[in-house]
Amino acid sequence: MPDRPPIAGLSRRTLLGGLLAAPLAAPPAFAPAGFAVAAEPHFPAPLRRLAALDYGLAETLIALGQPPVALVGAQDWHRWVAEPPLPPGVVNLGSSREPNLELLQQLRPEAILSTPYLAGIAHRLEQIAPVLTFPIYVPGGRPLALAIEALERLAILTGREDAGAAVLKQAEATFAAVRARLRPQRDRPLYLVSIMDSRHVRVYGAGSLFQDVLERIGLANAYQGPTNFWGFTTLGIEALAPDPRARLVTFDPVPAGAMQALARNPLWTSQPFVKSGQVLGLPAVLMFGAVPSALRFARLLDAALAPESGAPEGSSHG
Amino acid sequence: MADVALARRAARPARPWMLAAGLVLPAAALSLLALAQALPPALWLDAVLTPDAGDLRQLLVHYALLPRMAASILCGAALALAGAIFQQVLRNPLASPTTLGVSAGAKLALALATLWAPGLFVLGREWIALGGGALAIGAVFALSWRKGLSPLAVVLAGLVLGLYCGAVSAALILFKEHYLTGLFIWGSGALSQQGWETVATLALQLAAAAALVALMIRPLTLLSLEDAGAQSLGVSLHGTRLAALSLAVALTAFVVSGVGVIGFIGLVAPALARLAGARRLRDQLVWAPVMGAGLLWLTDQLVQRTGGLSGGILPTGAVTALFGSPLLLWLLPRLRVAAPPPRTEAATAVRRDHAAPLLAGLGGLLLIGLAVSLAVGRTPEGGWAIATSDLAGLLPWRAPRAFAALCAGAMLALAGGILQRLTRNPMASPEVLGVGAGAAFGLIVALFTVTAAGREIQLASACAGAFGVLFIIVILGRRTGFTPERVLLAGIALGALFDALVGALTASGDPRGLLLLNWMTGSTYQVDGLQAAWSAACAVVLIALTALCTRWLDLMPLGDAPGQALGLDLGRVRFILLGLAAGLTATATLVVGPLTFVGLMAPHLATRLGLRRALPQMAGAALVGALIMLVADWLGRMIAFPWQMPAGLIATLIGGPALMWLLARR
Repeated sequence: MPDRPPIAGLSRRTLLGGLLAAPLAAPPAFAPAGFAVAAEPHFPAPLRRLAALDYGLAETLIALGQPPVALVGAQDWHRWVAEPPLPPGVVNLGSSREPNLELLQQLRPEAILSTPYLAGIAHRLEQIAPVLTFPIYVPGGRPLALAIEALERLAILTGREDAGAAVLKQAEATFAAVRARLRPQRDRPLYLVSIMDSRHVRVYGAGSLFQDVLERIGLANAYQGPTNFWGFTTLGIEALAPDPRARLVTFDPVPAGAMQALARNPLWTSQPFVKSGQVLGLPAVLMFGAVPSALRFARLLDAALAPESGAPEGSSHG
Repeated sequence: MADVALARRAARPARPWMLAAGLVLPAAALSLLALAQALPPALWLDAVLTPDAGDLRQLLVHYALLPRMAASILCGAALALAGAIFQQVLRNPLASPTTLGVSAGAKLALALATLWAPGLFVLGREWIALGGGALAIGAVFALSWRKGLSPLAVVLAGLVLGLYCGAVSAALILFKEHYLTGLFIWGSGALSQQGWETVATLALQLAAAAALVALMIRPLTLLSLEDAGAQSLGVSLHGTRLAALSLAVALTAFVVSGVGVIGFIGLVAPALARLAGARRLRDQLVWAPVMGAGLLWLTDQLVQRTGGLSGGILPTGAVTALFGSPLLLWLLPRLRVAAPPPRTEAATAVRRDHAAPLLAGLGGLLLIGLAVSLAVGRTPEGGWAIATSDLAGLLPWRAPRAFAALCAGAMLALAGGILQRLTRNPMASPEVLGVGAGAAFGLIVALFTVTAAGREIQLASACAGAFGVLFIIVILGRRTGFTPERVLLAGIALGALFDALVGALTASGDPRGLLLLNWMTGSTYQVDGLQAAWSAACAVVLIALTALCTRWLDLMPLGDAPGQALGLDLGRVRFILLGLAAGLTATATLVVGPLTFVGLMAPHLATRLGLRRALPQMAGAALVGALIMLVADWLGRMIAFPWQMPAGLIATLIGGPALMWLLARR
């Protein structure tokens, strides 16, 4: 299970607390960058025992070299995040909508890393340990910029400022390199989709991490339509506007049999990107991730597109 | 001239074609409008016959727009035909693919196959769906066999089974959501098409079924005669019944496997046909599919027109109930339902109850359950542990949920007991009558309209919703003397209306609609100490008030006469009892959601234990209900640790079979 429910991709906190909190979840997004740090509870020493209630925060912690002690949905990490691998010994907290509070308390974390998605239970989490909320996916937000903020803040909290700076430096370098390498392909916009079944796709657009990465590496998104605040929308395949230059990128996992069924679908096979064989299959990348997922996406896209740019080492995953 | 024509038309009875035209013409107009927006009329013929592969507009018309229209027409006709056959064979105006649990069974079979036996799909989706549908209707018959397949018993068994299959599907989705994502879109009846494959299959299937039905018109007509009469005419009754039912199940399964579950068409279309004057079977079998086709076609066109605005998917199946339920409510007083004989057996027993020791025993069980629920848990490593010194630390997490679940169970049980006695209908309960749905509806309205709805506002609006539903049911019921069929049907309609609303909200991508799903399944996760205290306080007050009403509750099942003889103001008594039931349901629904069987089940279990007079029965029901919800909450926290299954869902999963067992034995 990915961090957010794929059915909906939207928060499904239990109703009573969640509904009340939903409208309140937005404000942090519009707060100035320094806001969150200013509101930081006082921690005398670098934090070591952290519980992460979000995959994106967990992968950021791992990138900083300070993996969490507990994580929601840990058993599905390999399917949705894949890279970096989850270190052994991370305790599984269960559902991302309803992390197991009793278990969390027994683990005695120093702090709990959460997102606005779980604002409905923040007051209960506070009874266990201080809660640090990191808004990355919020209405009108830019996930990549917010993820970088989260990384910087986490680096300070864990006393790993050097590691944080290194990760960001590497990210900038990667984006720049990929941007340079893919420059010849600027006029080829990309559809970024997860295939839901043989008729429907989830297409990522404005407000998604992928969108922000595309902008950093100088590529265009072929989908310009409306999205929800997680940055995607679910559409019938016929709703993808045909663009003779567009290519389509799919992400693993693809439901069993869906590709074969699509191959028989006239609306699919008449899409220019199918006719010209411009469908690229990428391995799993966490669509609701943070900086490490953004990097992974950039690297995988580079590898898949690079052969056309003449880069020697790239290989297509299609 | 105009006056004369008008008068003549008014004097003539309604004709089926008028109503059919009322559905088909707007649908056709909307379709043409959609076509015109997609493609200039000059290209229509090309697009239909030989679409230009380079022109996406033509491809869209050829492979999406037209097949979708055809799919809506075919599915509507197939479901309506299935409904008409079910109603004829079972002599039951409430029978339909939805109310017999056939759709739900077919859907569940497909979900299970997707998860655990994808190899079966080699056989074809239809066969899996058919297997599920057949099993479902088989189970429904088995459950209602002892009651001679009476219409009420059959529909009740079907509803319970349908709800149960729905609960199992919900459990699967909660655990395996990613693998079922496609199923979720499909399951809610998305009619969107991308080619003629599904349509061609459906058309063949429908044509074959229609041909078979045409062959069976004569024997089917004879079925409506008395059994002996038909037999003397040389008709094999069982053979005919079985063949017709199989056909109807097959039609349902074809639609479910093609486009998913589309509710209500199979129930409403035959009713519409009857209302429009199609009385003979032959007319029914012709006009019901026409109505069904028109209804679904129109609905789907409207959905596309409005759904396009939000940019996402709005499953038509979720919307049909939005049209269907109010229609059904409106139809109710006009629908001819064979009145069942008045209940003659008195619900009170003459013999003395051995109530005290039984109730003490139940109380003891509840205490043991509470102790287990609070003390026994899982360790971070996954083992089991009885909390001792660490109990104080764990109680804040365990106690509120346990107590709130317990109170909710007791309150639902009492509400069920009150409603069963009040309506003299053994199958009344907050769940079946849609009272829980009403409470939930009230809550939704509050959450969507009030920016920060506090607990008091939530409770008040939930109460208002519950009371509103009860009020509608009473109004409808009073006109018809509370015949169980009508009361049930009203409940079904209201419940489906609510489901449709939530379904439409969910599909529209509104986060608040999605949040509802979690709560709908009855999770106690959010319950904290304050809310538990609230529930407990409400429970104490409402239970005390109910205890004051036991004399009335003893009298109600006996009919109006004894009460009147004793000088009771029956109207006032009913009002007070309804108010109590609404309050109990609303408070409980806030905690465990609208979908448990506790309110239906607990009073029956108490009766089976030998508690018959109002006071001991209600007390027993409350204890049983509390125990069931307590155990459900504990199991939910334990079985999939660290995952937590919603208590309401677990209660349904435990309670469903218990209830079916009860149904089969009654």
